Amino acid sequence: MEKVELAIAVLVLIGIIVSSGTMYYAATVMGNLSTLMSDVSDLKGALEEKLAAIEASLIVGTTDSVELTLDPAQAYDYFGWCILQQIGSLLVSVKPGSLTGTDYVPELAESWNSSTDLKIWDFSLRQGVVFPDGTIFNATHAKYSLDRAIALIPSIPEGAPAGLEFDKIINKTEVLGTYKVRFYLNFPFSPFLGILSCRASAIVDPKYAPIAQVNHTAGNARASTPVAFVGPYVLSKWDRVAGRDMEIRLDANPNYWNLASGYPRIKHITFRFYSDATSLRLAIGAGDVDMAFRHITPTDVLDLQTSPNVKVWWGTGVQIQYLCFQEKRAPFNNTKVRVAVAAAIDRKSVCETVFLGLSKPLYSIIPVGMLGHTEAFKKLGDANYTVTRSLLADLGYSETNKLKFDLWYESSGHYPMSAEQALFYEEALEASGVIQVTLKNADWASFKKNRDNEIMDAFVYGWYPDYVDPDDYSFLYWAKWLHLNYNNATQTALYDQARATTNLTLRAQLYAQIDNIAVEQCSVVPIHVSTAWAITKPTVYGIYLDVTMDMRYWLISK
Amino acid sequence: MGLRSYIITRILLTIPTLLLLLSMVFVIMRILPGDPVALHFEKKADPETMEAMRRVLGLDKPLWEQYISYLWGIVDVWYFLDHGYPNLGKSMQTFEEVGGQIFSAFPATLELAIYSMIIASVMGILLGVTSSKSYNSFLDHLIRGSGIVTYAIPVFFLGIVFQLVFGVYLGWLPTGQRIDPNISPPATITGLYTIDSLLEGNFSKFLESLKALILPSLTLGIILSGIFVRLTRTNMLETLRLDFVTAAKARGLKESTVTYAYALRNAFLPILTMMGLQFAMLLSGAILTETTFSWPGLGRYMYQRISFRDYTAIQGAVVMFGLFVTLVSLVVDILYAYFDPRIRL
Amino acid sequence: MSKDETKRRILGPLIPGLTSLAKKGPSGWMIIIGTIVVLALVIMTVVGPWATPHDPVRYHGPIRTPPSTQFPMGTNHLGQDMLSRILCGGSIMLQVSALSVLVCFLIGVPLGLFSSYVGGIFDSTISLVIDAIYAFPGLVIAIAVSAMLGTGVVNMALSIAVVYIPSYFRIVRSQVLTIKELTYLEAARAAGARWHTILIRYIFPNVIPSITVVASINFADAVLTAAGLTFIGLGVAIDIPDWGWDLTSGRALITSGAWWVIAFPGLMIILLALGFTLIGDGLSELLNPKLQR
Repeated sequence: MEKVELAIAVLVLIGIIVSSGTMYYAATVMGNLSTLMSDVSDLKGALEEKLAAIEASLIVGTTDSVELTLDPAQAYDYFGWCILQQIGSLLVSVKPGSLTGTDYVPELAESWNSSTDLKIWDFSLRQGVVFPDGTIFNATHAKYSLDRAIALIPSIPEGAPAGLEFDKIINKTEVLGTYKVRFYLNFPFSPFLGILSCRASAIVDPKYAPIAQVNHTAGNARASTPVAFVGPYVLSKWDRVAGRDMEIRLDANPNYWNLASGYPRIKHITFRFYSDATSLRLAIGAGDVDMAFRHITPTDVLDLQTSPNVKVWWGTGVQIQYLCFQEKRAPFNNTKVRVAVAAAIDRKSVCETVFLGLSKPLYSIIPVGMLGHTEAFKKLGDANYTVTRSLLADLGYSETNKLKFDLWYESSGHYPMSAEQALFYEEALEASGVIQVTLKNADWASFKKNRDNEIMDAFVYGWYPDYVDPDDYSFLYWAKWLHLNYNNATQTALYDQARATTNLTLRAQLYAQIDNIAVEQCSVVPIHVSTAWAITKPTVYGIYLDVTMDMRYWLISK
Repeated sequence: MGLRSYIITRILLTIPTLLLLLSMVFVIMRILPGDPVALHFEKKADPETMEAMRRVLGLDKPLWEQYISYLWGIVDVWYFLDHGYPNLGKSMQTFEEVGGQIFSAFPATLELAIYSMIIASVMGILLGVTSSKSYNSFLDHLIRGSGIVTYAIPVFFLGIVFQLVFGVYLGWLPTGQRIDPNISPPATITGLYTIDSLLEGNFSKFLESLKALILPSLTLGIILSGIFVRLTRTNMLETLRLDFVTAAKARGLKESTVTYAYALRNAFLPILTMMGLQFAMLLSGAILTETTFSWPGLGRYMYQRISFRDYTAIQGAVVMFGLFVTLVSLVVDILYAYFDPRIRL
Repeated sequence: MSKDETKRRILGPLIPGLTSLAKKGPSGWMIIIGTIVVLALVIMTVVGPWATPHDPVRYHGPIRTPPSTQFPMGTNHLGQDMLSRILCGGSIMLQVSALSVLVCFLIGVPLGLFSSYVGGIFDSTISLVIDAIYAFPGLVIAIAVSAMLGTGVVNMALSIAVVYIPSYFRIVRSQVLTIKELTYLEAARAAGARWHTILIRYIFPNVIPSITVVASINFADAVLTAAGLTFIGLGVAIDIPDWGWDLTSGRALITSGAWWVIAFPGLMIILLALGFTLIGDGLSELLNPKLQR
C-alpha cells in the first residue's frame, strides 16, 4: 500500500507544484497583459482626445483680410463683419438659409413689436446671457451699444454706423425694464430689423468698449474686443503684419448664450490668409486648408467639382453689377440713347462665357429671390438690336453715323473679371451695327475719382448690400454718389413709401413700380448677379450660402 | 581732391538727396489722382462727412504744415527710441502706425533679398568663373547663354512654374508664406525667421522657415544670377589676360589658386559693387515675387498701399527704400573713388 | 581735318566690332542672333494682323481647348485663338519699349552730356535730382506715373522711361568725366572750338558704345516692366491683343490645367527680352577694349 500512496502523494505534489507554477506564470502574464491593456487604453484615450481635438478644429483659407478694426462702431468691411459675427451677437439676425432676406430670428432679443407708424420699436430681451466677466446682459447693454455707435459717428465718419445713418434713423433709445428696450425712430422705417442685424449693432460690454474711445488703431481693438462680446466664439489670436492679417484663431465661447443648441460644433477655427485666388486654389488643392471661401475663380471651382478630394457648395449671391450712364452731357443726357444702349446689352453671353454660368442675368436692381425682385428689364430684352437700331435711327444714328462713346471699366481687380465683362459688353453693343465703343480702364482709386469727377460716359459698377433688404438696393437707380446727375421724384416717393410699411405685398408692389420707371429711364441698367460657392474637404458639413453672404462658422461640423 | 574730403563731401551730399527724395514722394502722392478720403466711402458722399474724414486723416491742415510734420516725424529720435520704429504717421487706410507696419514687413523682404542674393551671387560667380576659364568652348557658350536667358524671364512666370512643379505636383515645398501656419513663428529679434529660430535654438522652425524660403529666393536668385554670370565672366576674362596671372601660373601655382586667390580677387570689385546695387534693386523689385508667393514683405505692402492712395504708408515705405539705396550708393561711390581717383573730381 | 577726326572717332571703336562680326566670333554671333530674333518678332507683329486665322479679339471659339490642329496654340478662357493673339500681341510691348528707350535717349543723354561737361554746381544739382529719382523704387514710380497719366501705350512708355533716365544719365556722365580732360580736347579748345562742337563732335561719339549697350538692356527691362505693369492692372484696354495681358490672365488658368495660355505669351516675352539682351551683351563685349587681344 505504501508504494501506491507514495506515488499518489508524489503525483499530487507534482501536480500542485506544476499547477501553482502554471498559475503563477499565468498570473504574471495576465498581470503584464492587463498592464499592457490599460496602457493601450490610456494611449487610445489620449489618441482619441487628440483626434477629437483635431477633428474639432477647422482651418479656413481666404483672400480677405480685416480692414481696420473689429470695433462694431467702425468696422465696415466684409471680413471684419465676418469675424464680428462669429464673436458677437445681435438683437436679431437673419435666419440661416434665408433666400428672401426678411425672415428675422431672435438672437439676444426674444420678441419684438413695432407701433403702427413704425417709429417706435420694442424689444424683449433674452435672460440668462452672461458676459465673460460675469456681468449679466440686460437692456442697459443694448442701449449702451447703440448709443455708443451713434456717439462715435462724428469721430469715425467712415464707420458703419455713419454709413448706415444710425444717427439719422434712431432718435433715442430707452430702457423700459431690465429686459425691455425701446427705440424711437425719426421716420417710419420698416427695414429697422435689417439695421439691427448688421454687425454695427453688435452688443458690447461697456467695460471694454468705452463710449468716448475712438478706436483707430487695430492694436487697441485687439485688446478691447476679445472679451467684449457674447457670440459663439472668442477671438484668441489675431496676427497682422503691415496691415494684412496673418492668422486669426477663434475658440468656442463657454459663455455663448446658445450653448444648449449644441453650437458651435467645431471648437477651434483658424483662418489663414492668401494673397490671391490662385494661391488659395493651390492651398485647397494641396489640402493645406479644410475650407476655402472667398475667393476662388469660376474656372477653378468648376474644375474642382470633378476632384474627389474636395466638395463644392453652391448658394445664392447678392453681388450685382450694373451699367451707369452719365447724364450731364451728350449722348446719355438723351433718354432714348440710354434705352437703346440698354437694349443692346447681352447678359447671357457674359454670364455664360465670362462667368461660366456662375453669374445670373439680372433684370431688376433687386437680386433674384429677394422681396421686390422683378423681371422688369426683360421688356428691353438682351441684344435686342431692333429696338436699338430703331431708337437710334430716330436720332439720326446709322451705320455710317455711329453712336460713339467711352465705356470705362475698373482694371485693378476690385470686381471679378471686369475686363472680360467689358469686352463682352463692347462686342454686344457693337454687334448692333450702329454703336462704336471705346474701352477705357483705370485702377480702382482713379476709377472712383473719375466717377466723382463725372468724366466717364458710361461705366460698369457693382454693389453688395449692407443689410439684406430691397431698401438697400432700390435707391441705386438714383444714388447721389454715383454722380450720374439723375433725379426722379416719383421713384424717390415710392421708395419712401416702401420703407414706411411692413406689409410685404405692398412693398413688393412699390418696388415693382420703381423698376418699371427704371426701365423707361435707364439711368442704371442691372446686368448680372453673382452666385456664391465654398469649397471644403469631403468631411465638412453645415455650410449655408444664403442671401446674407455670411458664413456662420458655428454651424459647421466635421 | 583727397579721398577723405571726397568721402565727406559725398556723405554731405546724401542729405540733400534724401531731402529731395522725401519731398518728391510727398509731392507725387498729392498729385496722384484718387483720393484717400473718398476711398473710405461708398454710400456717403456729402461734404460734411468728407470734411470730417479729412480732419481725421490730417489732410485739412495746410500743405506746408503736413510737409513739416512729415519731415519732423522722420527725424524724431525720441519717438524712435520709445516705439522701436520711426514716426511715419498713421496709415490713411487702416490707421495703424506706418512705422510699425513697415518695420514688421521689412524683415520679410530683407530675408528674401539676402537669400536671393546668396543664390544669385554664388551661382553667378561660380558659373562665370567656370565660363571664363574655358573661353569660347561649348561650356562657355552654354553658361553664357543661360546667363542671358535667365534674366529675360518674367519673375511671376518663373514663380508660378516653380510653385506648380515643386509645390503642387511634387508637393515637396510650400507654395507661399514664410512658415507653415501650424507652427508659430520664432520670437522676433531680428525679424528674419531663419536667424531668429537659430537664436532660439529651435532647429525645426529653422528648417520650416528655410523650406518656405526656397522657392521665392530660387525664383529671384536664378533670374538675377544671369547678371552675375555675365559680369563675372567679363571681368575674369579681362583679369585672366593680365600679366600677373601669367606670371603666377609660370611660378607653378595651382590652377585653382590662381583662379580664385589671384584673378577673382582682382576681378571682384565691380562684382561687389553690382551686388550692392542689385541688393537695393531687389528690395524695390520684390513686388511681383511677393505677390506670387503670398510673401508678407514691403513690396507687397507698397503695392497694396498705392491702390489705396495711402499717402503716409507709401511715403514711409519709399523713405525706407530711399534711405537704403542712398546708403548703398554712398558705399559704392566711396569704393569706386578709393580705387579710381579720377572720379573724385 | 576735323571731319576726318570725327569719322575716325566714330568709326574707331566700331571697326574692331565690324571685323569681329565679319569673322563671326561669339560676340558677333550674339549680335547676329539677337538682331534676327528681334527682327523676326517685329516682322511677325507688323505682318501678323494679316496672317491671323481668326480675329484675335472678336472671335470666340470653344473655351480653354488645348493645342490642336484647329487651334495650334489652343484657346483661352474667352475662347480666343491663342495663335492669332500671339501673332498680334507683340505690338504693345514693342511700341512701349521702343518709345521708352527713345524718350530716355532724348532726355537722359543730352542731359548727361551737358551736365557733366558744364560741371560745377549745375552738374551737382542735376546729379542730386537724378540720384533722388534713382533711389525711388522703380516699379513704384512706374505705377505712380501710370496711375497719374492713365493707361495707354504712351503713358506706359513714359512711366517706364522715368525709371530708366537716371541710368542713361549716370553712364553718360561717368564716361564724359573720364574723357573730359583728355589732351586732344584741350587742343580743340585752344583752337577755339565752341562747347557744343566739342560735345557733339568729340565727346558724343565716344559715349555711343556705352549708350548702345544701356539701350539694349533698357529695351529688355522695358519689356519686362510693361509685363509687370499689366500684371498689376495698369496695362492697355482688353480689346487690344497684348502678350502681357495673356500672361496675366493665363496665370489664373494654370491651376485648372490650361498651361498653354500662359506658356506661349511667356515664351514670346522671354524671346523678345532675350533678343535685346543678346544684342546688348554682344555689343558690350565687342566694344570692351580690354578684351581686344
